[in-house]
Amino acid sequence: MAIGPRLRGRPAHTPGPTFLSYTPNGRKLITVGLNNAMRIFETGSDAEPITIDDVQDAHTAIAAANGFFVVGSEDGTVCKYSLETNSLDGLLVRSTLPIRDIALSPDGIWAAVASDELVVKIVNTHDMERVMYLREQPKPAKHVSFDPSGSYIAVSCTDGVVYVYSLSSEEPELIKKVHGLVRALESDAEASSRVVWHPDGRAFAAPTATRDIQVMSKSDWERQRTFSSGHSREITALAWSLNGALLATAGADRNIVLWDTKTQTIIKRFDQNSVRATILDMQWHPTENLLSYTNNDGELYLHTDIVPPEHASLLEMSLQGAPLIHDPLKEISGNAGRMIASGLMRSGDISGKRFGTPDSLDEILGNDGNSESGLDFIEDDDGAGYVEEANGNGKRTSGHLGNGIAPPPKRPNYNNDWRSPIHMHESFQPGSTPWRGSRRYLCLNLTGFVWTVDQTTHHTITVEFYDQDRFRDFHFTDPFLYDKASLNEHGTLFSCPASVQHPCTIYYRPHETWTTRVDWRVELPAEEEATSIALSSSYVVATTSKGYVRVYSLFGVPLQIFRQKSSPAIACAAWRDYVLTIGNGPLKAGRRTCLQYSIENVKRDQTCQDCDTIPLVSNASLVNVFFSDSGDPCIYDTDGVLLVLQHWRTMGQAKWVPLLDTKQMARLQSGRKKELHWPVAVAREKFHCIILKGGETEPYFPRPLLSEFDFHVPVATLAPSTDDEEEAQVGTEVQRLEESFVRKELLLTLMTDLVHSTNATHAQTVELARAEVDVDKTLLQLIAAECREGEERGMKALEIVGLMKDRTGRMLEAASKIATRFQRDVLREKIDALAERRLVGLEEVEET
Amino acid sequence: MALPLPPGLTPSEMAFLCEMELVTVIPRQRLEGLELLGGPTQPLNPPFPAPLPLWLALLLKRQRRANIRTPPWLRPDSLAAILEFETDTAKEAFSPPPNLPPPTTTSLHVDQTTAYLPATATTLELSPPFLQNSTTSAPPDALPYHWLELSQLLLAAAPDDFEDPDSVRRLLRDLREVRMAKLRKGIEVLDAGAGIKMNGVGGMEIAESRAFIGGVVDGLRYVPSMRSMELWGGGGGGSLCGTE
Repeated sequence: MAIGPRLRGRPAHTPGPTFLSYTPNGRKLITVGLNNAMRIFETGSDAEPITIDDVQDAHTAIAAANGFFVVGSEDGTVCKYSLETNSLDGLLVRSTLPIRDIALSPDGIWAAVASDELVVKIVNTHDMERVMYLREQPKPAKHVSFDPSGSYIAVSCTDGVVYVYSLSSEEPELIKKVHGLVRALESDAEASSRVVWHPDGRAFAAPTATRDIQVMSKSDWERQRTFSSGHSREITALAWSLNGALLATAGADRNIVLWDTKTQTIIKRFDQNSVRATILDMQWHPTENLLSYTNNDGELYLHTDIVPPEHASLLEMSLQGAPLIHDPLKEISGNAGRMIASGLMRSGDISGKRFGTPDSLDEILGNDGNSESGLDFIEDDDGAGYVEEANGNGKRTSGHLGNGIAPPPKRPNYNNDWRSPIHMHESFQPGSTPWRGSRRYLCLNLTGFVWTVDQTTHHTITVEFYDQDRFRDFHFTDPFLYDKASLNEHGTLFSCPASVQHPCTIYYRPHETWTTRVDWRVELPAEEEATSIALSSSYVVATTSKGYVRVYSLFGVPLQIFRQKSSPAIACAAWRDYVLTIGNGPLKAGRRTCLQYSIENVKRDQTCQDCDTIPLVSNASLVNVFFSDSGDPCIYDTDGVLLVLQHWRTMGQAKWVPLLDTKQMARLQSGRKKELHWPVAVAREKFHCIILKGGETEPYFPRPLLSEFDFHVPVATLAPSTDDEEEAQVGTEVQRLEESFVRKELLLTLMTDLVHSTNATHAQTVELARAEVDVDKTLLQLIAAECREGEERGMKALEIVGLMKDRTGRMLEAASKIATRFQRDVLREKIDALAERRLVGLEEVEET
Repeated sequence: MALPLPPGLTPSEMAFLCEMELVTVIPRQRLEGLELLGGPTQPLNPPFPAPLPLWLALLLKRQRRANIRTPPWLRPDSLAAILEFETDTAKEAFSPPPNLPPPTTTSLHVDQTTAYLPATATTLELSPPFLQNSTTSAPPDALPYHWLELSQLLLAAAPDDFEDPDSVRRLLRDLREVRMAKLRKGIEVLDAGAGIKMNGVGGMEIAESRAFIGGVVDGLRYVPSMRSMELWGGGGGGSLCGTE
């Protein structure tokens, strides 16, 4: 090897553990070791290093900023040295036990100090009296590391748990304990359990007990990619290159391994021949192809051109994304959860921001008021808006122009003008969740649930049922990488996107047959992708990227194919012979498309509703669409409202009626609970959903329990706060009855439509009659409540009597009895008169 | 001599009575409605939850045909809140039992058209087995009459249906100790004719402490009569120690 002989260790200290740190601008490299000297090397010069002598010896940790560096030693002192005068600047903090690690925040203001004491101290480097304490660890910490934004700190504790704290608040707050990631190590062990944050800040890597390097994402604390089988003994040091494209690791097996972040493959390995002793600390030079490391024998190595020329371009790339399994920034998935708008995501950096010129003023002096990027010199600490927030592209927004109305563009708007994007609704598969870690639900409904696990080369799909007696759970290995599924009591439908080996395929697997299993596959034509699929008890439906709706029978016979009138398609649902498709319609105000749906009866080849609008409030979007168990289309939107389609069997008559507003439910009125509802189904006149707490937006594993809620039509607010308690009592009673009347009336019309349009069974007819009586009974209770209110409510009571459906006269008789009981004689006479008119059939004539 | 049992109900009898309580189950398979002596049950249809008597729910749970939804008051956070109430707020008293529903009329077959009228007939106060105090619709902040028996039975038969069975066990044990201590402290103030307020005390707690309290009260009743006997000049003052 050519590099081998050239690479010469520089004896920096007496033999023993040695540590190093580069200043962020890469000009200087400082090493500390067993003896009482600190050596400062200038990058690019072979001159003898500057030596600072100190009274303490056995230094154990160092961290350097551009103007100073901080050194911790075994006797428990942490000292700050100036790089300008190369002399002691003062004592920063003193601990009773040896210091183990020091980390400086990216702005150099805070120094985190891990010692053999239980508490990790974070000291202000300018004012040593300002200290924050991290107290949650039950054992001493071994390593500390700040994330690239400086708002999180990860503490690797000797109990084998990583404690992640948020530093955004006044008092550091423990946000996550990561179990099972790193090994429990002694605080003076050579092996490392250090957490290193990927430079893009979304993930961190840590050495595991199996000598692999595990990447974990910060957003959901899921295990992501691993850098595996690189070392045969414990890992002692690891470092990301400054753009995150490379990872360097060193182990007790005296190997240095360079990994490509994107593919997690080894691009270069230096074995025992070139490494003389165990490497304890390593760091990349911020700009050059240079990795420096120190070993446990007092030596420093400056390994120039460590990345072989064929891979050197990796180092020159802009900031690379962390190796996440399903990167939300790269993956365009219709139902991907929206990124939380937080500055910590630093999505702006990933969008390819230019790096500064080398040796520019900003590079040397850091960011100041005249810098293009970074912190402005005005710190907007009270949010009064002295400084304008730059948006993701580093531009100021037009918010100052007022009311969000943009000035007229200088050029006329063409269709694909990028400055005024059209907000189209993404397609989604009803009942599925996006990837989280390596798992996702493909379908969740009242029959069961389908979930898939990413095994990198293939997926494994599991289908589980609620009814363990009727169905048998099954599980299979999936080389096609199915990404959509639909499940009902007859079978399971899957679809996979096109790949090199196969076009987009739809796969149906029936649960049970009386012959051998007849599962089938249909391949869509080339370049056509299924955007959503649906399964009913008699048909299979798929909407595709070419704007087609394809309908198959349950045995794979293609029955219909037609162009969807409103496309691109968003979702589809099916129930018995009915197929509901939703697509993007024409633009409406705010340059958003409006949603349009169509309902077809496939069997009779009838169109029930044609390109009718789904009324969504301005910024809301659709969360789920499904048929209820009695066959009425229901939608659930991001505002938390469940809507049902009424009179949808008659063309032009359909309207969306709210059944439940989950944000107005009584259980949330106290304001203490914060929860989201993830819709699953509407069945048995109840809304079935999964309650998500703690800011989650999608259900995850283990599968949460289903909750059910009664419908509550938002007629009035639930609990009006009146001072007079009795008044409020009566008021709510009337309101409750009114809501109950509206709700029962709605359910009655849904049921009437169903009974009249199908061959109703006897039970259904009886049920319908019972529901009618039920509505009238609610009205009777309402009359009683009104009568109790007082004489002056008689007119309202009479009107309510007029709403009664009953034609036999029994209900009117009862109403007149109520009036008698409350001694409202005038009302009673009027009710009796109404009853008589109805009896002889005069009422209808009068109405017309 | 008739039955050699102490007066009142034994703990095992209390546990037996507790099995009448309704709990919510999530069936894992279908079952038609059953005509039971206590009334018909709902047909089971997964995954819709249904209320079932505890004994039937435990039977189905053992056969892995159903999961039991734990009542809201048996969740760790509710138990912790109740425990805090017992120790900090309620000093001497016990945490109150769940509120009773408004009384209903005794006649079950009211004329359909007059059901809206306020009940004028004799009203019926519902008592534990007929109150839905252990289904998922139960209030989360009150311990029902059968809390101790029910939680023991559920923890023994269905620990996997709990969020965190260990902390539930620990909290229940704490609650039990706090309440037993209160009961015992109450006995100190007992005197002839005095009483302790036992609102909110569960069935099993009464069954457990019945023998002891009964003995103490009997003994106390005995003391004055002894004194009066001494006044009359009789002896036998030492026999008090002998009896108790």
